[in-house]
Amino acid sequence: MPTRSASLIFGSAVVLASVFATSARSAPQDKNTKEAQAPAPKREITGVWLYQGSGGQESTAPEKDMPPMTPWAQARFAAEKPGYGSRAVPDGNDPILQCDPGGFPRIMFFPTPFEFVQTPARIMQFFEREHAWRPIWIDGRALPKDPDPTWYGYAVGHWEGDYTLVVESIGFNDKTWLGASGYPHSEDMRVTERYQRVDRNTIAYNIRVDDPKAYAKPIIGPERFMKLRPGVEIGELPCVWSEENSFTKRIREPAVGKPNR
Amino acid sequence: MKSKLLLFCTLIVTVLVFCASMQAHHGNAAYDEQHPITINGNVTEFVWSNPHCQIYLDVKGEKGSVVSWSVESQSPGILRRNSWTRDSIKPGDHIAVTLVPAKSGAPVGFSGEKSGKIVFDDGHVLKMDLR
Repeated sequence: MPTRSASLIFGSAVVLASVFATSARSAPQDKNTKEAQAPAPKREITGVWLYQGSGGQESTAPEKDMPPMTPWAQARFAAEKPGYGSRAVPDGNDPILQCDPGGFPRIMFFPTPFEFVQTPARIMQFFEREHAWRPIWIDGRALPKDPDPTWYGYAVGHWEGDYTLVVESIGFNDKTWLGASGYPHSEDMRVTERYQRVDRNTIAYNIRVDDPKAYAKPIIGPERFMKLRPGVEIGELPCVWSEENSFTKRIREPAVGKPNR
Repeated sequence: MKSKLLLFCTLIVTVLVFCASMQAHHGNAAYDEQHPITINGNVTEFVWSNPHCQIYLDVKGEKGSVVSWSVESQSPGILRRNSWTRDSIKPGDHIAVTLVPAKSGAPVGFSGEKSGKIVFDDGHVLKMDLR
């Protein structure tokens, strides 16, 4: 009987796992149009893409999947007052509230489009959000030895097979959060991304963050999906300090209970 | 065996429902996202700016009092993809705004969820569900 129970539990787990594996991969794909059915171009990723996420409140990985923090990171985390997640407070200190760049990789998890423009030497990634851009060098160069810390880092990429772009990035400052929940990272952060074009209109996106100064283990993001948005032109979405300041006085502060100034 | 099958089915349904709810929106802590409301009023100002467009309107309360509401919306880029323009809302327009109100109780709200919308007196609707 224990064997039968065990096999039932194991069987249930297998069925559930396959249900989720299937729904995770198939749900966002669009097989209904002729264009989507056409094969994706090989080693080519140009186009406007939109992450199929919820609303800018995500982090690199969900809180439940975050590895243990080092004492250094715990001290940073304790000082952060995020607007989202289990520690959310209405009047937080998210850096983007004062128009600091959200930076990379946080910029990946907003539901605003970005555009890939591919050239022989590099793939440019233009983000509507923050009106920011990021070059991904695909000319075979190595990552620099000692890059200056920046908001978006230094990235090199290569094709793995015909449909997966693998990008390695280093050279980040430690002023940004890994997402809206306030998780910190250090300047030692190294990010590995995989953009797998699973059909013409869909990228399966996987991200891994290695930052031993801040976390005991690598952070592994859940598989996410981006959809091609033909015909969409990316606009500009900078955080404009004067406008943000006016907005803060007129809406954000009253919303959290501070008097309208 | 029947009871095990039932347990198994219950397990699957529970996990699927749980996963569906996990995909629902997690809230901006300032707003009560569980309780959207609709307010009706006359527009006093429409601000088309980054990163948040804003709508200001006067709402008549009971006994003729007027409350000035401030409404946060999405960025111009997102609204433009939903066919808004910088002239979509003008001072003097009478509109119904579906929003989630501030928890503070102040007359402030957020109309930028995919469920948010603006309805004009002539029936035309501005939505914001497309990203």
